[in-house]
Amino acid sequence: MIDEEKRLEQIILTRLARLNAKIHGLVTGMVFGVGLFVATNWLVLKGGKSVGRHLSLLSQFFIGYRVSFLGSLIGFAYAFACGFILGYSIAWMYNWFADKRDGKSK
Amino acid sequence: MDRHLTVIIGAGPAGLSAACELGKLKRPTLVLEAQDTVGGLARTESYKGYFFDLGGHRFFTKAKLIELMWRDLLGADFLCRPRLSRIYYNRKFFYYPLRPLNALLGLGFWRSLMIVLSYLRWQLFPHQREETLEQWVTNRFGKRLFETFFKAYTEKVWGLSCSELRAEWAAQRIRGLSLKTAVFSMFAKPTQTIKTLIEEFHYPRLGPGMMWQAAKEKIEREGSVVRLNCKVVAVRRNDRQIESVIISHDGHSEVVEGSAFVSSIPVNEFILKLEPRPPVKVLEAANGLRYRGLLVVCLIINDADLFPDNWIYVHDPEVRVGRIQNYKNWSPDMVPDGTKTSLGMEYFCTPGDALWNLPDAELIELGKRELERIGLALSARVEDAHVIRAPHAYPVYDSEYSKRVAIIREFLDDLENFQTIGRNGLHRYNNQDHAMMTGLLAARNLALGEHNDIWSINTEPEYHEEAALEEKAVEEALARIFTRLDRVAFGLALGSVAGTALFLVTAFLMLKGGDGFARNLQLLRQYFPGYRVTLQGSFIGFIYAFASGFVGGWLFAFLRNAMMFFSMAWLERKAQRGLMRRIFDFL
Repeated sequence: MIDEEKRLEQIILTRLARLNAKIHGLVTGMVFGVGLFVATNWLVLKGGKSVGRHLSLLSQFFIGYRVSFLGSLIGFAYAFACGFILGYSIAWMYNWFADKRDGKSK
Repeated sequence: MDRHLTVIIGAGPAGLSAACELGKLKRPTLVLEAQDTVGGLARTESYKGYFFDLGGHRFFTKAKLIELMWRDLLGADFLCRPRLSRIYYNRKFFYYPLRPLNALLGLGFWRSLMIVLSYLRWQLFPHQREETLEQWVTNRFGKRLFETFFKAYTEKVWGLSCSELRAEWAAQRIRGLSLKTAVFSMFAKPTQTIKTLIEEFHYPRLGPGMMWQAAKEKIEREGSVVRLNCKVVAVRRNDRQIESVIISHDGHSEVVEGSAFVSSIPVNEFILKLEPRPPVKVLEAANGLRYRGLLVVCLIINDADLFPDNWIYVHDPEVRVGRIQNYKNWSPDMVPDGTKTSLGMEYFCTPGDALWNLPDAELIELGKRELERIGLALSARVEDAHVIRAPHAYPVYDSEYSKRVAIIREFLDDLENFQTIGRNGLHRYNNQDHAMMTGLLAARNLALGEHNDIWSINTEPEYHEEAALEEKAVEEALARIFTRLDRVAFGLALGSVAGTALFLVTAFLMLKGGDGFARNLQLLRQYFPGYRVTLQGSFIGFIYAFASGFVGGWLFAFLRNAMMFFSMAWLERKAQRGLMRRIFDFL
């Protein structure tokens, strides 16, 4: 048992973390998606003369996106997809670089 | 000879568990017990309607199988009891792990300060080598705390100086709340296991003997036999097998034959009963195994409430009593009259030493005297008393024991129809549930032809396949959570993704044309001089975003690793605090 604890410590201190790309992608996607959903609806609820003038520029990339409730749902889907791709890419690339560096150090 | 009869020597938790399991598998057994009651070290003695438990047996297990067996045997009589146990020192109660205010009030300001300073001194300059228990404890708690709370009690229990007890023994046997457990508790509410250990435990309404009496009745209902007052005086063997045992019962000798034999009596006694005698080397190993005995002076006191603890540890070096059980706090039905209290004054000694050889009357006087001296009750309030002796309560782990056990094991492994089980059968400081597990697995080896290694069953539940897998999964999970992020790799990954993203966004806008978003995106020039929404700008943007992403990712990984380190340091500290409780519970 003591050996096991030592082994665990050894692992924690020497091994490099690996990221789960899917989970990373999902989490980033959720953060992006919810972020855009909340930001859009915040502006909708806030109202005013020209609602979400800057935010609506996202429609350049997210076709169909508007600063409206329906737009917030569309935006959620786009932002989730982008976030997923970004998060997944970061984790995948991190693992790739870490593997390379781990291999070099061994 | 009954070709199917299994003879089990010893009706303690291990022997009775083996018999229960064999009964379940339709194998007839004969259980032989030298005492007039079942339960072995976990028996309950009764005296004038009062029940006394030898050593206090909390029913706690991580093994589901054992838990189910207990519940099945006792049903509603298997109580869930609150736990309180404290250290009694200098006429004051101390919680452990120590609570600052409690320690300050109990020990006084200067003494508390000295303990803190001593702790700091030994944290900064520990013993470089931990060879003895004294050094091991001092390195973790400081010299002052060791002298105040550990030294006297440990020496009472084991009869050896802390400088003679090996550090490996402590390192192997006493663990704090493990790092794994502490880490887990950070993510989830403390598990039932931890809660149970600290705050409550299960206990039969009339003491542990009630459980074993129920087991006996179950075994008999299934057609097997449990014979009390039958002492095995000799064990006949040939080269490869046990042939029979000779028992002494009511002054008569009797030969009992069987097809298989299981023993839970002290393994050295078993070796010495063998005929023909084993080789000299094995006999010497058997003679070298030592046991610590337990003397319980049971006092019936004419007071309703003395203290709320189930048991207390007595650290005062001026009295010989080591631990005091308050049985009605284990279960109210342990006393027949609620206006009285029954205490068990526990003395740890070696069979044959001066304390062990004292007549009962003198032991009772000693118990009464010490009870008054430490200030828990007046001796005049003691209205009756009784003495119980358990000569083989604790197998002693001296420096030679493992070599001796190995020699004995090698010899016994050659006996094809024999298995030794239980705490004393294996000379291992197992708890009740582990002892039971040795019995259960021995029974399965016999009836189902399994190949469970009884000797490998330790004081932890690794013998349980499920638990071992669970541990492995926990380790994997922890390794994933707590291993370091590679700063450079994370920086490169974030930089690459950020750079590519800006490159693609720029290129997309450039190809699409129109200046709505492009104008806004170009505001990045404030930070990235030279950046434009052009083809050239997209490359410049890539470099800038890569560099920014790299720095951001590197910093994120650095801070995450640093936070994780501090979090682990905090957990280590928490684990150390849990160590104190474990030490006393183990001792």
